[in-house]
Amino acid sequence: MQQRRELDQVYTNRKLLNGQLDTPKWWLPTVSILGVVVLIGVVVIATMVNKGLGVTGLARPVYWGLFITTFVFWVGISHAGIMISAILRLTQAEWRRPVTRAAELLTVFSLLTALVFPLIHAGRPWRIAYWIMPYDISRGIYPNIRSPLIMDPVAISTYLTGSTLFLYIALLPDLGNLRDRTTGWKNAMYTVLSLGWRGNPRQWKMQTVGGILLSALMLPIFVSVHSIVSWDFAVASAVEGWHSTIFAPYFVIGAVHSGVSAVVTMMALMRWLWKWDDFIRPEHFDALARLLIVVATGWLAFTFLELTFALYGQDAPEIALREMQMFQWPWNALFIIFFLTAYAIPVPMWLFKRVRTNIALMFWTSILVNIGMWLERFLIIVPGLARRTPFVYTWEAYRPSPVEWTIFIWSFAWVTFLMLLFSKFFPLVPLFEQKESQVFTEDVMIGRAKIPAIVREAD
Amino acid sequence: MASQAVAHESEHHAPPPNVDADMVARELIATTTGASGRFKAWVWGLGILSIAGIVALVIKFIDQGDDSTKWGYVAALVSFLLSVAGGAPMVAMAPVMAKANWVRPITRIASLFSFASVVTLVMLIPLVAILPPLVTEGARRRTIWYEAPDYSPHIWTTLALVMLLITGIMLFYSAALPDFASMRDHSTGWRKRLGKRLARGWVGTDAQWRTLRMRIGMFGTFYFLILVFANFLFTTDFGQSMVPGWRDAILPMYHTVSGFQAGVAGGVIALYFSRKYMKLEKFIHLDAFWSLGRLLFALTLLWIYFFYSSFIVFWYGRSENDIATLNHQIKGPMIWAFFGAMILLWFVPWWILIWNKVRRGTTVMVMGSFVILVGLMLDRIRMFVPAWSVPGDQIHEKWLKVIPETYWPDIFDILIMAGGISLVAFIVMMMTRVVPVLSVWQVQEFNLLSKPIKYIRGHATLVAKPD
Amino acid sequence: MSKSILGLFQQPEPAADAMDGLKEAGFELGTFDVLTGTPYPEGAFGEYVPQHRLFRFPAFGAIIGFTLSVFLTAVTQLAYPMVTGGKPIMSIFAMLIIMYEMTMLAGVIATVIGIVFESRLPNMQPGIYDTRITEGWIGVVITFDDESKVADAESVLNKAGALEIKHA
Repeated sequence: MQQRRELDQVYTNRKLLNGQLDTPKWWLPTVSILGVVVLIGVVVIATMVNKGLGVTGLARPVYWGLFITTFVFWVGISHAGIMISAILRLTQAEWRRPVTRAAELLTVFSLLTALVFPLIHAGRPWRIAYWIMPYDISRGIYPNIRSPLIMDPVAISTYLTGSTLFLYIALLPDLGNLRDRTTGWKNAMYTVLSLGWRGNPRQWKMQTVGGILLSALMLPIFVSVHSIVSWDFAVASAVEGWHSTIFAPYFVIGAVHSGVSAVVTMMALMRWLWKWDDFIRPEHFDALARLLIVVATGWLAFTFLELTFALYGQDAPEIALREMQMFQWPWNALFIIFFLTAYAIPVPMWLFKRVRTNIALMFWTSILVNIGMWLERFLIIVPGLARRTPFVYTWEAYRPSPVEWTIFIWSFAWVTFLMLLFSKFFPLVPLFEQKESQVFTEDVMIGRAKIPAIVREAD
Repeated sequence: MASQAVAHESEHHAPPPNVDADMVARELIATTTGASGRFKAWVWGLGILSIAGIVALVIKFIDQGDDSTKWGYVAALVSFLLSVAGGAPMVAMAPVMAKANWVRPITRIASLFSFASVVTLVMLIPLVAILPPLVTEGARRRTIWYEAPDYSPHIWTTLALVMLLITGIMLFYSAALPDFASMRDHSTGWRKRLGKRLARGWVGTDAQWRTLRMRIGMFGTFYFLILVFANFLFTTDFGQSMVPGWRDAILPMYHTVSGFQAGVAGGVIALYFSRKYMKLEKFIHLDAFWSLGRLLFALTLLWIYFFYSSFIVFWYGRSENDIATLNHQIKGPMIWAFFGAMILLWFVPWWILIWNKVRRGTTVMVMGSFVILVGLMLDRIRMFVPAWSVPGDQIHEKWLKVIPETYWPDIFDILIMAGGISLVAFIVMMMTRVVPVLSVWQVQEFNLLSKPIKYIRGHATLVAKPD
Repeated sequence: MSKSILGLFQQPEPAADAMDGLKEAGFELGTFDVLTGTPYPEGAFGEYVPQHRLFRFPAFGAIIGFTLSVFLTAVTQLAYPMVTGGKPIMSIFAMLIIMYEMTMLAGVIATVIGIVFESRLPNMQPGIYDTRITEGWIGVVITFDDESKVADAESVLNKAGALEIKHA
């Protein structure tokens, strides 16, 4: 239930702009530490590019390992933004309001991070330009568009461009607000960025109509992105466990599961770090957790179908692969952790309202989900390659090297670093949406009961 | 800027006014009596077609009961009915879960389709008798029943459909309890007696309402789970496992999602006719059509998405297995049925429903819904007819080596299909004689929770959101 | 440059009164406007409803994107006809995916351009304004070609209870 609270707009401004107008004490140390980690990561990446992929644990036949897993993981996280922002906008869910900006932001930054992995994984990143950009006109060599590895960058750059623009458009009114609250060079910056926003009916109408239109356009892109990522695997008929028709929706729903969980993690952090107790409230976590129960259970159904139809053919190699994935050390340990963290622990907990409204518990369960979802990708990608098959005479057990782990950790530091940097200049909670919800909600008396109500515009 | 300025009065219409609660009860209960001549004529026509269909089913069973390759159209019909009659009640459930107010008045009409699930079951009976056993010629075909007893597909699919029927009726009944009480209080004759018996002493205490809500939530969730499960079992046991090498993990979900699409289309059609011919305009607002239109549009896009996700994997795979599956399902003898399905399930509805103007009206919406149902029938035909055409002696092979000839429908198939669909319409129409086609208490609740207001100078609706 | 004045209100009701008053005083629709820090339901102030052509933008963008994508996929494949994976050179089902993405991308970009254009932005000289509008105040702004009507407008604003009137 939406608990309505009267919040003065001056108060809303002061609280929600506290990251930009005055810097919280923890900000500089945190950003500095993250900056160091990011720097280390960059050095390690540079070393890897210099020395070659031999510094990783990747070797025949496991060529796709930690990097590709982490790539899929971050693309998955990026599905939070549009899921929350677009679907909830289209369905006019009132509780979306404090969440949208952070979710869109997570989309942009996690996509930026995801993109790095296939690039560095190629060993010589500059050569990628040859096979994804149709520019070699003089020699007449063009990309092979029949390869999903080309579709993938096309889809991801579409999604990245779209979500960045979406983020910017929805930021306009808040930039106007910041312009009004700042002086000096900051004022000049916000004046330019806000494009001269004034808040007349025409501009507001464009925010509403444009927001809905962009949501409707972004949704099909969002679905296509992870589907195309899944086809990187599914169209390869040679690797067992990959050639399944269910991969596209299975990846998408898994991505939504991990993405929405990441939004929960982020919301808890935002509430704690910037002290936004008035804006990010237990009922928002409650609503997100309810959504997550549905998404997670849908995801479980797809997992069940994926497994059922893998075994359905009753082909010996496929059965052997599944046996390895689930029952052989060390995969079985990973599988158990995956299942417990992605579903078996968090979802039953979310069934209780007491858990759903407890922010600390929501924070930890959402982190569990993402541990599980990372492992899910790992268990999809690696065992299929690692299983010993006839006529493969050189195989090594895949063991990610410290270089891979460092870059893996770098990716988390990098996303957080970008987020915090963003928070220094732009509000993480959309102020105008927050104020709009004050305008559009009212309490009605039905009998003696006070019921929160929403004003819906007549058409 | 003056050129763009228009007075807002012309743009904004005040929302339709609310109707008093006692008037809602009286008028809606009155709809159950006094059927028009046209209604009766339709009921007779549909009834005769239904009987002809059942007779044809019996004759076909006696005549061709030993040849499974001749039963593709009946399988397609069962799939179609499972989609429409099984999917429609979900229209009642899904938005309720999302606490949408617009759906309240129309949940009843969707849940009336639960009764039509009995047709699915009737049509399934001969199929269960004819479905080849798991082991033929000493070899076991590929199914989801790896080590399970031989009768598993037969028994579990039947049970799932029985459960679906029972849960659907329970869902209907638990939501109709207050309406039976209204019938007890306001109706006459056998309807009054029926209301008295079925209302089970409903007076509307706080505890009764709480139980009612809990029951609706519970049966709704069960219904959804059983529906997905029934789709899963039917598509694998009566579809995929009939064809050697057909391994399409997405098919159960594809079937379920297109079932929702057809369910919504069926719901829109029922809503349109009851609104128009029972004069329910003041209870069924255009808002409901608008929201259903958006839902239908989304489901139309989901259809093409699920289809493409499956298709592209086979197309890229190019193993003999993949090629055979594509030839069997899409590129082979069924190519025209497939193209028809693609155009009618996706292209036409997509192009129709993308327009806000269409979704705000009723006529084009209902036309689009009919188009979807025709498309769905073609889609089911292109899946199940070739699946059942595979001769029994090839069913357990590794993959399909020879694509079977197209089996064209005979007179029995046509009669059975016409009869089955008529029977669904017949049952839904007859049910409107028993209970009000719109739920009385939900229309009242809708009016209680949403009221037109004047917001400063503009018109708006204030929608209360209780927990 | 034409003259404009801005009346500031703290509550929506008097601002709506001012808008009504301006209409009654014979000011043309479109010469006065309301500025708010948050979206209000359309028509809440009896303001003019802006007409827009936003829906044309994505359609236009999509057509351009689709055309480009056809060119990119078909022409590059024909220009370098190398069979890979046993697929035909013109693999329509693979091309469809790229076409889809490019169509959507151009559609989104065109929509964003449309939103900015239809919001009449960027506008680096937005005119009379007050920073309190983003703190919940409501501004009623009137633009004049004829300076003789300034007094009329001022009296309407004062009558409605404007807390402050700014001139520019």
